[in-house]
Formats: sequence, structure tokens, C-alpha cells
Amino acid sequence: MQFEKAVQTLFDAEVEFVVIGGLSATFHGSTRGTYVLDICYSRTSANLRRLTAALAPFHPRPRGFPAGLPTLRNGPIFKLQTDIGEIDLLAEVKGLGTFDDVKKHSIVVEAFDRKIATFDLPGLIRAKRAAGREKDLSDVAELESLREASEP
Amino acid sequence: METLHPLTPEQLARAEDRLLHPVRGSQIESASNQGIDLTLLVEQLRLTPAERAKTLELASTALEQVRGIADRRS
Repeated sequence: MQFEKAVQTLFDAEVEFVVIGGLSATFHGSTRGTYVLDICYSRTSANLRRLTAALAPFHPRPRGFPAGLPTLRNGPIFKLQTDIGEIDLLAEVKGLGTFDDVKKHSIVVEAFDRKIATFDLPGLIRAKRAAGREKDLSDVAELESLREASEP
Repeated sequence: METLHPLTPEQLARAEDRLLHPVRGSQIESASNQGIDLTLLVEQLRLTPAERAKTLELASTALEQVRGIADRRS
């Protein structure tokens, strides 16, 4: 996954997004690997236009797409395969809510030569708990350790 | 919006001490009991967030190359 290329592309296209998932965990010190970029995006019309235009050069195509072909405006999760790797687009995050809710639980991190928004540690832990998959709950133990280790 | 900064030397020293000498009943001790290698967390915390992300990208790229080789062989 070309995280740098993807993040820079979205940032430079002025897409409103928050990095969530495994890359966010990595920013905070997690050792778990991932090869998928997860972002939560704003569903405003202008942002949807910017998002689709930014990803278009990388030929996004759905992974395991259900019948009915939902669009970015009315579908909550899109799992895409692109020329630069797998990108998951989420309009809502379980346990937190929509983009605006997610943004309230985000901080700025300087990475890939950009200043990007990502989950704060409590928000990330909350989302992982809410996701509730075995892998997520295992991640929570590590993230709680990082939180405890970093407390004043 | 707040910024995620690298740990200061003082913060890092405190975090390392907590991770390498977990207090009984702490979340860190619980994680250790679940098999989480706390020394790896220490190594990660020594990096800046940008360095952590770069390391992930390198590892991810290497993994995808291995997957590609495996796919071609199958």
C-alpha cells in the first residue's frame, strides 16, 4: 500500500478526511501492520467530487461489492482496490458516528510531508471497541498500553 | 485541533519505564499477559509518528511484493 502517495493525493486535493484504522494506530505507536488505508470522509457534495476526482487516476474498483451499486452519498462503507493499494472509505464509524463526530475525536499528525487529521488515541480505542472483531479487541489491549504509558 | 507530537525525552523515559516494568493490575500488565511484546512498543515510541508511518509503508510494500510472488507461483 502506498500510504504516502494516497494520503498526499487526498490532502492536496483538499478532500476532507480523517485517517482511521491501522495507519492511525501506527501513528500512535501500534506495532500491528496493515496494508489498507482507512479514512472517514465528509459526505458533502463538494467533498464527494474532490474525493472521486482525487482517486480516479488510480482506477478504484470495488472489492466484494454488493448488488445494488450504492454511491458514495448513500453507502456507508466502500472497500476499494486501486493502483496504489487498498483504500477503505467510511462515511460513518461505528461507536463514533459521522465524519463530523469523528473529527471531534481527531488530532493533527505530521507525516508524509503533510499535516493530516487522524483519530486521537481515546477515539481510536472507542472505535476499535465498537467494531468488536477479534482483531480489533486485540488491538485495544495494545492501544490501552500505549495510552497508559503516555499518560502524564 | 491538537497535534500528535513525538514524545519528549522525559515522556519517553517514563513510557519506557512503565512498559518495561508494568505495575500490577495495570493495562500494560494485562497486555503483557495477553502476549503483547512490550519491547516492540518501546521501539515504536522511540520513533516520530512520521517515522512510524514510513516504516509501515516499507513493511506493507514488502508484504505486497511477497503476496505478488506467491500469486504468480500459484
